[in-house]
Amino acid sequence: MHSSVTSLAAILGLGAVLLALPHALSFSQQEILVFLTINVLVVASYRLLTLTGEWSLGHVVIMGVGAYASALLSKRLGVYVPVSMLLGAVTAAMVALALSFPLFRMKGFYFLIGSFAAGEIIRLLWKRFRDPFGGPKGIKKIDPMPDFDIGIYAFDFFEPVSYYYLALAVVGVSLWIMWRIERSPVGLTFHAVHWQDRLAEASGVNVRAYRTLAFVLASGFAGLSGALLAHYIGTINPNSFDVEQMVFVLTWTIVGGTATFYGPILGCVVLTILNEIVLREAGFEQMRPLIYGLILILSVLFMPKGLESLVRGALSWQNARKKKVGETQATE
Amino acid sequence: MVELLAQTGLNALYAASYTALVAVGLVLIFGVMGVINFAHGELFMLGAYAIVAVYADWNLPYLVAVAVGMTFVGIVGLGMERAFFRPLRDNPLGGLVASIGFLMILQALVSMGFGVRMEHVPPVTQDVIVISEKVRLPVFRLAVILAAVVLLASLWAFLKRTRFGWALRASAQDPEAAALQGISINQTARIAMFIGAALAGVAGALTAPLISVNPHMGHSVIVTAFIVIIVGGIGSLEGAVIVAVAYAFVHTFVTTFFDGVIADIVGLLLLLVVLIVKPTGLFGSTDRA
Amino acid sequence: MFAKMFKDGLTRRRLLGSGVAMAGSAAAAAVLPRTAFAADKVVKIGFLAPLTGPVAAWGKPGLDGCLIWGDWINAAGGINIGGEAHAVEFVAYDNEYDPTKARTGATKLIREDGVKFIMMLGGDTWPGAQPVADRTGMLFSTLLPSDLSPDTTTLIAPCEVHPIYNVTGVEWLADNMPELKTAVMCAQDDALGLPSVATYLAAFEAAGIEMQDDPLLFDPATTDFAPVVTRLISGNPDIVCLDTCYADYVHPICEQLFQQGYGGQVISCTADFYQQIVAKTSEEFMEGFVFQFPDFDDPALNDENINFRMPNEFYAEYASRYGADQWGAVSWEYASIMDLWKAGAERAGSAEPDAVLAAMKEGGTGLHAFGEADWWGKDLFGIDNALVGNWPIVVIEGGKATIKEFRSIPEWYAKHGELLKKHMAAYGQMWDQRS
Repeated sequence: MHSSVTSLAAILGLGAVLLALPHALSFSQQEILVFLTINVLVVASYRLLTLTGEWSLGHVVIMGVGAYASALLSKRLGVYVPVSMLLGAVTAAMVALALSFPLFRMKGFYFLIGSFAAGEIIRLLWKRFRDPFGGPKGIKKIDPMPDFDIGIYAFDFFEPVSYYYLALAVVGVSLWIMWRIERSPVGLTFHAVHWQDRLAEASGVNVRAYRTLAFVLASGFAGLSGALLAHYIGTINPNSFDVEQMVFVLTWTIVGGTATFYGPILGCVVLTILNEIVLREAGFEQMRPLIYGLILILSVLFMPKGLESLVRGALSWQNARKKKVGETQATE
Repeated sequence: MVELLAQTGLNALYAASYTALVAVGLVLIFGVMGVINFAHGELFMLGAYAIVAVYADWNLPYLVAVAVGMTFVGIVGLGMERAFFRPLRDNPLGGLVASIGFLMILQALVSMGFGVRMEHVPPVTQDVIVISEKVRLPVFRLAVILAAVVLLASLWAFLKRTRFGWALRASAQDPEAAALQGISINQTARIAMFIGAALAGVAGALTAPLISVNPHMGHSVIVTAFIVIIVGGIGSLEGAVIVAVAYAFVHTFVTTFFDGVIADIVGLLLLLVVLIVKPTGLFGSTDRA
Repeated sequence: MFAKMFKDGLTRRRLLGSGVAMAGSAAAAAVLPRTAFAADKVVKIGFLAPLTGPVAAWGKPGLDGCLIWGDWINAAGGINIGGEAHAVEFVAYDNEYDPTKARTGATKLIREDGVKFIMMLGGDTWPGAQPVADRTGMLFSTLLPSDLSPDTTTLIAPCEVHPIYNVTGVEWLADNMPELKTAVMCAQDDALGLPSVATYLAAFEAAGIEMQDDPLLFDPATTDFAPVVTRLISGNPDIVCLDTCYADYVHPICEQLFQQGYGGQVISCTADFYQQIVAKTSEEFMEGFVFQFPDFDDPALNDENINFRMPNEFYAEYASRYGADQWGAVSWEYASIMDLWKAGAERAGSAEPDAVLAAMKEGGTGLHAFGEADWWGKDLFGIDNALVGNWPIVVIEGGKATIKEFRSIPEWYAKHGELLKKHMAAYGQMWDQRS
């Protein structure tokens, strides 16, 4: 009872901080905050995919599928933007479903490279077919989210603060759904598939079906994040979803750690702040990639379990101290 | 038409030679260390920049520059092994991230030391063997092909004939059994890393006079190398060589008779088809996925 | 934006050369005479281009050139706006050629740094900054006029009208070498390559030169060009056209043309560091190579119609600060845009974007680096925001780039505009086709 009150208070507190956050930032930091929020959804969905033990290099391209689908639906067919975003997510999930047939014949490193090849083929198709994908220049002037007024707050989706609130709501709900999935029997089976591949199979679990399910769900959320990005920035092109972006998602996830739900999110937030704010403010322009690379190496060397291990260390230290305080109080 | 086919065949042979060198190095590193070296393309790039420094800037003989480049990149490989691949041996994803970090560092260092623009490497020889009006084999390209053959043959001899080679193959096939046999993992990892990196370096050094040398040149070779080692089956050196040759021929002929973008799509589709039919690559064993 | 390597292009720097050059530039900055400006009399200019990553070569050298321009202007008393001298200061933001970072950078430069004008490379990054431009009314410039559209009236392309000027080279070739009848073309499949393909197709058709084959597209990641060249020259064309290939492609393609025994005419948009191509092939092979970017020590640039100030001195200063091998066309192009902006601000008596834009476009003409030019582009871009006039035709003679003549782009367009529109439309490059 007591702990649920505490966690409710923690969630409310976190919510209040997140709502107030943009007002404490400069304009350009607000812009970075919007992209950061969208990327949080990307890494969280990526973790969902990795739960079953497979690492994909096609996740960012799948995100792009959602972006392209939503952009084209709203631009060509006039679909209402919030609807087109959801349809973008569905499209990404469908494409992932189609890809899962060839890809899940592979495992491990083969899956990694197979997913990369599948993603590259999609990117080459975007480049090759100028109609409707716009070729190498991609799609421009994507319809923005329509502005609206809810009485206490007028949303103007050009403004980063407004779009941040929208993204925060979408990402928050998505994270909550992913959290519920992970805690459900399905999610527990994902873990079982990862750690006890053969055992799970022997006990009647259709391993491939669960891998596919995780892949499709994760791809749907990635597609949603892509749609969020497309309707904010207003332009997408094949290079927005290239392997370099994928490398960033991969490093955020691994540096953050995948053992916990919040690990990849932590990695994304910390590394983005370091790269986009700290290193830029410090005036390292040309040396930025060098320092970022060094940070990557040092973090995997000295935090092999990811940033999340620091948090867990701090929590257990705090618990131990509480316990100790409790014990000393009890003895007195 | 016969002439066009013949010239395209020669073009493909050259493409095969450097692709094989890069891919074999990558396979060796993966086989022994179990880690994906994402920075392999940047080792290729370092080899090319060794030529820029030693041959183009210091005006030393080209062969000296190739030797320096090969050794230097091999030593960089040793440094990578010691600095992060060894501490991260039980953490392949960590090794992957570390190699990504390292490629960013190499690109930034080269950009700062040499600038972001392409570098000039003077031609080593401009002689051409004229077989017919439309079939010509530049001597330098022939030299690259021969060098690749010699290097790969000596690697093969090294692996088959020496104790190190035996240890290396044993670790690649089954690291734990190899350790039980008293093979030092650190020792074989060092050798594999040195040879693998040196092969990428020498490929960069050999091709430097023919391609655009710039800090981001590693990207295009790494993608091809990944395709090759996957189709060949990871851990199979023979597979890597055979597939490098086959891929180069397919890509070159499609480029000539259709266009380069279609060639890329065809290459990737072939990769997917092979993986669907045989998910462990053409020459891979099922054990080490 | 295409790089040119000048006289000492072959001077090679030692490994630590750029470090030394950096130290040298710091020293030079310290001893440079400085006019004292009141603290608030500073006008800030934004520089929003790639400074790191694969496209850095189109941004970084431009910033370096602007810093020289700024030092010279400040040393000479700054910019006179409304009777008061203002120092000019460049604020750079590295957009990594990424539209999201371009948007963030535009916001920072406008809302936090208070810049009055932003120079961009354009291309992929422009649509990211476009909403910010539309909202704030900030004046932007791009090097790629294909970014222009009637939606954004405050975006101008005042220096380069890529790829339209390529028509002048083909026209010159047809006039001077009427015996050349057939051509082939190759291009990288990207945002620069395709509009240029359409332009060259129109130019060849206008000149009565027949294409032997469809343009051969290759992936931008291509490194070995032997197959491309084998295919190109298989039908013995009179002309090989390299489209707007980057230096990374032009050099290996020329090397292959040479090694595979091609002896015909070559035309290209650029021939960056052409001395290196000469070194890789031969002086005879490169003799007569036609392209569009002159050396700045060319006597033709000392003509009074040329508006770029002191080209030779600018180049010398650049080489001494950053190393001769870091020079490229972007080194001068952004600086030449600043010349136009300065003139506009001084005429307007204000640094505000709308006032400067109005002053720049006053009378429908402007002083382009290569001579007086018209604000033009309604047909192709939907808006007259490109400054178009003469463009040089450059031919390599005796291993040296030489300006043969300046030709008028508007005059060509008056005769063959419909052809250009036809081919642009076929490649989906008209402003109202861009999705």
